[in-house]
Amino acid sequence: MLDCDEVMERLYQFLDRELSEAELAEVRAHLDACPPCRDRFTFEQNVLRRVGTCCRQLSAPPSLVEKVRRMCDQ
Amino acid sequence: MNQDQSATSRSELQEEALSHIDALYRTAYRMTGNAMDAEDLVQETYLRAFRSLHQFRPGTNLRAWLFKILTNAFINDYRKRSRRPRSTSLDNVEDYYLYSHLIDSGIQPASSRPEDEVLANIPDEAVIAALDSLPDEFRQVVLLADVEGFSYREIADIMSTPVGTVMSRLHRARRRLQSAILQAYTAAPCSVGSDGDACDARLR
Repeated sequence: MLDCDEVMERLYQFLDRELSEAELAEVRAHLDACPPCRDRFTFEQNVLRRVGTCCRQLSAPPSLVEKVRRMCDQ
Repeated sequence: MNQDQSATSRSELQEEALSHIDALYRTAYRMTGNAMDAEDLVQETYLRAFRSLHQFRPGTNLRAWLFKILTNAFINDYRKRSRRPRSTSLDNVEDYYLYSHLIDSGIQPASSRPEDEVLANIPDEAVIAALDSLPDEFRQVVLLADVEGFSYREIADIMSTPVGTVMSRLHRARRRLQSAILQAYTAAPCSVGSDGDACDARLR
């Protein structure tokens, strides 16, 4: 089984869904058995989500959408 | 393919491209730092995209293709004429994980998971300010991964860098972002709540 350091090395790949199925299972097995690592992963995931939700509040101004729409072929 | 079919697929592609304008705009806004330049960059992106739409291979990722065009327009066009000071180096900047700092600082546990409470009390402005303080390449990799949800492979293609570079850049950028969030948060006047709990939870 992976130890805490090895699991931490895979933190972002895990959160980014970039691990293989086998690696994913290894990390999950550790997290199931290790509450401190689980807390840590949850916190890191929340930070990433927070960045995403903050930035996604912005949308293109209607005037820009209109300008680009006019660039489309008639 | 006859001309009618070609015209239809072209207008369909344009329509699909248009559906990504919010994502392109918010990325352009964070990259340039202001609405006017962001609008110019997005217009330039669509101009280039529509001009080379015949080069787009149907079935491949149109969204990633548009972001690649935006990135190239930003690097080759915008940044060259920009007077915005360009910060590119992360050297000599202390990077740390927010989590470790929170745990090490011994915040008083007002709940079973005090670090989550602290994160919830950090205002959006502090998160945005922290992101804006990152060097271009690091800000962009965070935007592509955490805001737009691109895979490492797609980001590598968009930024024309190897996947390994994307991974290391993303790792460093996120750590730097966390220390910047903390700096922005501790620098801002406390405006959360009236009972002072959030201020008490603020880190030293």
